Amino acid sequence: MRRHIDARVEEAVDTLALNPVARRRLLSGAGLASAGLAATALLTACGNEQQAGTAGAGNFPVTPKWRFVFVCHVTAHPFFTPTQYGIADACALLNCDYQWTGSKDAVVGEMVGATNAAVSAKADGIALAVTDARAFTGPVNAALDAGIPVVSYNADGEPTNPGTNRLAYIGQPLYNSGRSLAQQLLSIGFTGGDVVCFIATPGSLNIQPRSDGARDVLKESGVAHNFEQIATGTDLPAELNAIEAYLQGHPNAKALLAVDGGSTDALGKTVAKLKLKDKGVLAGGFDLQPGTLESVKGGSLDYTIDQQPYLQGFLPVFMLYLYKLSGGLVSPCDTNTSLSFVTKSNVDQFANVKTRFEGSDTAQKIVPRSGGIPHK
Amino acid sequence: MITTSPPVALPRRFVRRGADWFLRIREASIILVTIGLVIYFQASTPVFLTEGNLITISHYVAPVAIIAAGQVLLLVSGEIDLSVGHVYALAPYLMHFAIDYYGVPVLPAIAIAIAVGACIGLVNGLITVVLRVPSFVTTLGMLFLISGITLMTSHAYPTPIPEKARSVASWLGAAPWAEITWALIIVAVFQILLSGTRWGLHTVAVGGNQHGASEAGVRVNRVKIGNFMIVSSLGALTGILESFYVNSIEPLAGGANIMFAAVAAAVIGGTALAGGSGTIVGALFGAIVLGVLKDGFNLIGINADRFDLILGIAILAAMVLNVYLARLRTGGRT
Repeated sequence: MRRHIDARVEEAVDTLALNPVARRRLLSGAGLASAGLAATALLTACGNEQQAGTAGAGNFPVTPKWRFVFVCHVTAHPFFTPTQYGIADACALLNCDYQWTGSKDAVVGEMVGATNAAVSAKADGIALAVTDARAFTGPVNAALDAGIPVVSYNADGEPTNPGTNRLAYIGQPLYNSGRSLAQQLLSIGFTGGDVVCFIATPGSLNIQPRSDGARDVLKESGVAHNFEQIATGTDLPAELNAIEAYLQGHPNAKALLAVDGGSTDALGKTVAKLKLKDKGVLAGGFDLQPGTLESVKGGSLDYTIDQQPYLQGFLPVFMLYLYKLSGGLVSPCDTNTSLSFVTKSNVDQFANVKTRFEGSDTAQKIVPRSGGIPHK
Repeated sequence: MITTSPPVALPRRFVRRGADWFLRIREASIILVTIGLVIYFQASTPVFLTEGNLITISHYVAPVAIIAAGQVLLLVSGEIDLSVGHVYALAPYLMHFAIDYYGVPVLPAIAIAIAVGACIGLVNGLITVVLRVPSFVTTLGMLFLISGITLMTSHAYPTPIPEKARSVASWLGAAPWAEITWALIIVAVFQILLSGTRWGLHTVAVGGNQHGASEAGVRVNRVKIGNFMIVSSLGALTGILESFYVNSIEPLAGGANIMFAAVAAAVIGGTALAGGSGTIVGALFGAIVLGVLKDGFNLIGINADRFDLILGIAILAAMVLNVYLARLRTGGRT
């Protein structure tokens, strides 16, 4: 039995063009174990009685090599590196194929083109980052009409309007995560003053709702403050420049927030460079890019919020696969890929280990952990 | 000279004359490249020539082809416009401001947006010919200036298409074939302008030999400024068409990407970057080559990171083939 499965996985792995070491590690089962766990977690989360097979994909019947298309708004952004690993790992498990496409710099027209091409190509499933609440309505309907299941990941229209008829959203509820960003700011001692919120592309629905959530919480809190939103851009060097220029021109800012991974990374670096911590500035942001983790460790960022990008790739593949396999009976379900704070007290477990799950390593391996699990 | 070996059944001379005639057409090489790509993609995936996919391709092709039509005129007259992609982003916002904030009826609002585009072209032209700043630099400055205006006035927020404009949406890019129809009409009109009118003749003369043209009585400055205005107006129109197609007005739409795509289409299609010669139909085929490549790669399922690499190789290969065929075409007759 086991031999048989390995052969099929091996076939899938061959399509990944991995280096020999990564390939061996993948096949040796390290990735299978962890990915299999996540798959089980998914099935439980969906409230489904069905159990995952005892040995990876082995219990499933032979399927065609289904191809799932992931349309992303910033295909080359480091945030999505673990997402792509998640997709690759899930596809290897399930003997599927995938395409990672979209736009390099958040051009909605290019994403619409890629989505339409996926429909033309009769893709077996589409996962879409819905960064615009109007542009994708038609393309998603066309896909559904053509019998192609569509889920959204990472971004899902506006807080009150998903903007598409996708079957489910896998990602972080963005508005609420923005509220958490500001609540954490209040809880670490923000008492008023200028608040700056750095955002890569204002209005983009994968990040703007966070900024809105943070703004609303501060407004509701009654703390005297002045909230300003500053655009930074989509590539790291530009973000560094934008943030540094702003902070040099506005030395009185008391709290610095960033609502996307790139801006958070750049914010941490800039706070360290300008030694703003000496002036008691509070800073927090999103995601676990390596630079961000170093900043949390070094103290220039007080906290950052993890949204598990690996799962945002891994889970959509499983959901689309199960939809295809079950003839639509096992329907994709909304999944919150969690919201947890990374602070100086727990950053080591993220920063000291290089893993595929955070995008800091390509190798497949078991990440050891010890001690109790933090809880309230 | 000609490498095609004629089938035995047909008279050799006839076939040779036919091939000769075809290769004498300036667009021959790019048409051959296009046909080759279509055959390749249809062979690799059977859905390539389905209606749905042709519509997808048409949306890749149309905006590039429309902007390239203007860009060819400007390139032929010896200048270039780098700012057109940002006029593209600004124009739909102007339409939205006019309709939603000033109550202007839909069609006049669109006309205003395109007229503002023309004015930007006028400024580009005046700075280039009167102040003698090279157009590369003029329009580079204008690129940032326009981008800044767009981001400031829109607060970098996407906006829905104005409700009142819904009635004309399907004419302006929302209907499946609308955008490519606009593109084909514009390409036809401007190809006639370039090859069949005095304006076209003067454009070629100015780009080929500015001093000669000037001494022969061609109003060099007027020709150049006019062509700057044409490019910017077409950029504005394209931006509006695309916003109707995407169903949303985006601050990051267009930009340098679409501008470079249009220049690439023009050059792939046989327009000389140095000026003096070019063809708009060629640029249309250049746009088709780019569109077919992009769509085809998406159909086959090439990942984003590898996409640019392969696109770059494909463009270079298409260009090398193009230059080689062009040499065949003119071989022995220049």
